[in-house]
Amino acid sequence: MSLMNLNDQKSIHSNDERGVATANADVHIALHTTSAQTIMGKLAVLTDAAKYDVACTSSGIDRKGNGRDMGNCVAAGICHSFSADGRCISLLKILMSNECIYDCKYCINRRSNDVPRATFTPDEICELTMNFYRRNYIEGLFLSSGIINNPSYTMELIYQTLYKLRTVYRFHGYVHVKGIPGTDPVLIQQVGYLADRMSVNLELPTAESLEKLAPNKHRKTILTPMRQIQNGIAQGKQELALYRNAPSFVPAGQSTQMIIGATPESDYQIMSVAEGLYDKFGMKRVFYSAYVGVNEDKALPSVQTASPLLREHRLYQADWLLRFYHFRVEELLNEKHQNFNVLLDPKCDWALQHLEQFPVEINRAEYQMLLRVPGIGVKSAQRICKARKSGALNFDHLRKIGVVLKRALYFITCNGKMMYPTKLEENYITRNLLAEHEKLPFDKDGMTYRQLSLFDDAQENAALFGA
Amino acid sequence: MEEYVLVCEDSMEGILTGIYDAYQLKKERGIESHDSIHLAVKEPDTQRLFTQYEHIQTSSEKAGKVTDTMIRQLGNETWYRISMAMASCFEDKADAVYHTIVLGLRVQDRQITDRLQEACVQRTFKCARASENELCHMKQFLRFSELQNGMLYAKIDAKHHVLPFLMPHFADRLPADNFVIYDENTQTFGLHASYKNWYLMQGAALDEGSLVYSEDEAVYQELFKRFCDSIAIESRINPKLQMNMLPLRFRANMTEFQ
Repeated sequence: MSLMNLNDQKSIHSNDERGVATANADVHIALHTTSAQTIMGKLAVLTDAAKYDVACTSSGIDRKGNGRDMGNCVAAGICHSFSADGRCISLLKILMSNECIYDCKYCINRRSNDVPRATFTPDEICELTMNFYRRNYIEGLFLSSGIINNPSYTMELIYQTLYKLRTVYRFHGYVHVKGIPGTDPVLIQQVGYLADRMSVNLELPTAESLEKLAPNKHRKTILTPMRQIQNGIAQGKQELALYRNAPSFVPAGQSTQMIIGATPESDYQIMSVAEGLYDKFGMKRVFYSAYVGVNEDKALPSVQTASPLLREHRLYQADWLLRFYHFRVEELLNEKHQNFNVLLDPKCDWALQHLEQFPVEINRAEYQMLLRVPGIGVKSAQRICKARKSGALNFDHLRKIGVVLKRALYFITCNGKMMYPTKLEENYITRNLLAEHEKLPFDKDGMTYRQLSLFDDAQENAALFGA
Repeated sequence: MEEYVLVCEDSMEGILTGIYDAYQLKKERGIESHDSIHLAVKEPDTQRLFTQYEHIQTSSEKAGKVTDTMIRQLGNETWYRISMAMASCFEDKADAVYHTIVLGLRVQDRQITDRLQEACVQRTFKCARASENELCHMKQFLRFSELQNGMLYAKIDAKHHVLPFLMPHFADRLPADNFVIYDENTQTFGLHASYKNWYLMQGAALDEGSLVYSEDEAVYQELFKRFCDSIAIESRINPKLQMNMLPLRFRANMTEFQ
């Protein structure tokens, strides 16, 4: 394995021997690097152990290069590849170690599991990050870890890694770090100045579920660092307004994730928790992770149970509605309707329940109302608002702008006219919308592509997926 | 009514020269409206009646004048959108951009590209959106390999000519590196030397077989392949979704699919 290769320094090779890296002309660090084969093995184990973590986004911050060091950040984030499950690969998502003192029932790395264990050294992580980034494989590092000895000890190791990455290897790209509940607040504070995003996993939607499945974790110890990070971000912004060069604290914001389907919460409960996190903790993102059975345990659904992918999809759709479409959870779900409609996306479902608010006149409706029309997304709504300033729009314009007319046509008028004579009636529209076949990233029953292709022939697949 | 078609070179400079000459033609011959003048980036397959075809000699001076006027009167944002449209591979791009600029200068609207009810703006929008998507894809999927002398090399096959927009992105994130991006489609090289400005080069040939990769290159490629394999969750394997997100045409030049 080579060490870093920065600026005009020569790269240094050291196979199972001690090498010296000159990262910066005046800093000399002694590194001990293991052989390529060992790194391969570790990477496989520690990637495998990290794969159930969902957040792999590199978004939330625009940071230009400084003209000297490697790396910059793009606010929208960049996905560099897509793995065989269709999920985005944006960051080098690894665990520092999959050793763990905890015994959370749902977790593959729990103490009582007999799985191969490995631990990266800080230098190994730094080298991988630098070399992957330089080849445009990744946008940065996502570092999490099992608990070694105790939370503070683990966080300290993570801090050392980040410190090295930022100051010795001089990495200027994106870094996402997990905050470990129960850590000394001083460490969270220090890590926050080196990371772009931090996340503390909520793990499960309710405190009862957490108690049942993660006996070593407590709601309170999870919420404490979340609150600390939130306050740190707010304070950091204030300092930045006062002093231009104040160090930034978690500038890309905070996120969290919870497991869906391992415990009996309803969609309504889950979305209410998410809304609370957005409102009260200033979260940038809440991620939902369809439960994947990896452990046999009487407290868990059987390992054979299919992951609730459709449910996860509906939750993400609703999450989008909260964040970008100005919806509130109470509008989508309530005590009586606790779960999302399996057949229709939440926005369509809402529109059908509120036909009295339609049709909407494209040339006059407010932006917020345009957003609520099925078939009109954020970009289309923005384009409509800009374009109509200089003249009226008709249906042909809308199509060119990117509106999905076959969904929108039941809900809109242009200059007082509908596209076709249609009935504004729930059953009629529902029937027509269902006939359009919503594009899902998998089949409706939540089965995956591969499971289906087991029994099949090409024609049946084509019929199912319209391919 | 007589129509005029100005055939210009398929490059930003060529199209901008065409726009300059179109204005001049209108003035010299007293043509009533810009509507009867069209720009094209290649000779049409069938020539139309009552149409005069003229070939435009690319001039960087004329192109510079049009650029200056546009930035001054329509602003940088419009200039960016229009440049993106000109980078696309659509044949109607020159005409779309020309008429969008005419309209923008006439009504003095710095947000001219928002007027999507105008046919020419729509076409410009379509062209710019296609290039922008391609640019995004290239930022995502381009892969560098390290050569023996430490230089980074990447090959892309871009549908639209986005290399000029791609170079600043990588120059900003890899200021210390010497790197080369080769666009097979337009046979253009983007070159960046450590801590220097980047530039484009055309007309050179590259023998890929003669490239010698660094000792570590194979190791890192293998590591990344392992990483991509291990990160997928078996029970969620979904090639169709992967295909939607990462179309096959990009994979030929991507490390993890080689």
